[in-house]
Amino acid sequence: MRISCPYCGERSLDEYLYIGDATVTRPDPAGANAQADFYKYAYERTNPAGAHKELWYHSAGCHAWLVVERDTRTHEISSVETAKDVALKRNVAKGGA
Amino acid sequence: MSSLTLTPTNALASALNSSRSSVAIAVLDGLSIAHVAARKGQSAALAARVKELFGVTLSQTPRIATGSNVSFVWAGPDQWLAMARADTNPDFERDLRGKLEGLASVADQTDARALATVRGPNARHVLAKGVPIDLHPKAFPAGSAAITHASHIGVLMWLSEADDTFTLACPRSYASSFWNWLTESAVEFSPAVGE
Repeated sequence: MRISCPYCGERSLDEYLYIGDATVTRPDPAGANAQADFYKYAYERTNPAGAHKELWYHSAGCHAWLVVERDTRTHEISSVETAKDVALKRNVAKGGA
Repeated sequence: MSSLTLTPTNALASALNSSRSSVAIAVLDGLSIAHVAARKGQSAALAARVKELFGVTLSQTPRIATGSNVSFVWAGPDQWLAMARADTNPDFERDLRGKLEGLASVADQTDARALATVRGPNARHVLAKGVPIDLHPKAFPAGSAAITHASHIGVLMWLSEADDTFTLACPRSYASSFWNWLTESAVEFSPAVGE
């Protein structure tokens, strides 16, 4: 499996670390349902057979965090974005800075 | 009609010539090195300041930019490794930190990295034994840089724009393992090994 880092180009799997599910976002610890939200955030995962968004860390390269959309059955990668860009877009969508 | 003169040539002569010192490996010493990381939102201002100070355009992609006294090699998003001769720039890091105040965080790396150079027709063959990226001139042309690993040791490497020399920088504590791998990988090419 090879992942195209937006900064470094295509690199083999041994340069990356799999970090986890990129579809979940950390809840607000001061929110009204913080305890239930954190339970969901920590434990409830969908484990799809098919397209999945995952966080990968380019540990032996540029140290960028990436959001990789991968088919869990075929390892086919359909998109790679930096986690920074994904977070910025999410903040803009929320109306934040 | 002139007579044709033929000179006998040993069938293995070319094989001998092509392998003799077709790669040269040397320790690269005497550099002051500083890591430069742009502060949040200051990337454009930093690039402008570096251009004004050194006449160098900071590369936003994995490449090296060389000025008259200093080189900046890309070292990650919004990060660079700045290098200058230590003898003429003894206070390089402190000097750079002052000049880039507010625009970048500057950290001394002079004694943190071990640098080696590899050049010659078989340089790519030697490096290919441990470096997992494509070093073909089409994929890695002059001036390219990469952060990757060499024989499992993390390296920042680049190919000079001027003279087809690869330079590899590894963490100081890995220096002897790295050197061992490099020299062993080059044995089949009868390397010229310099200090």
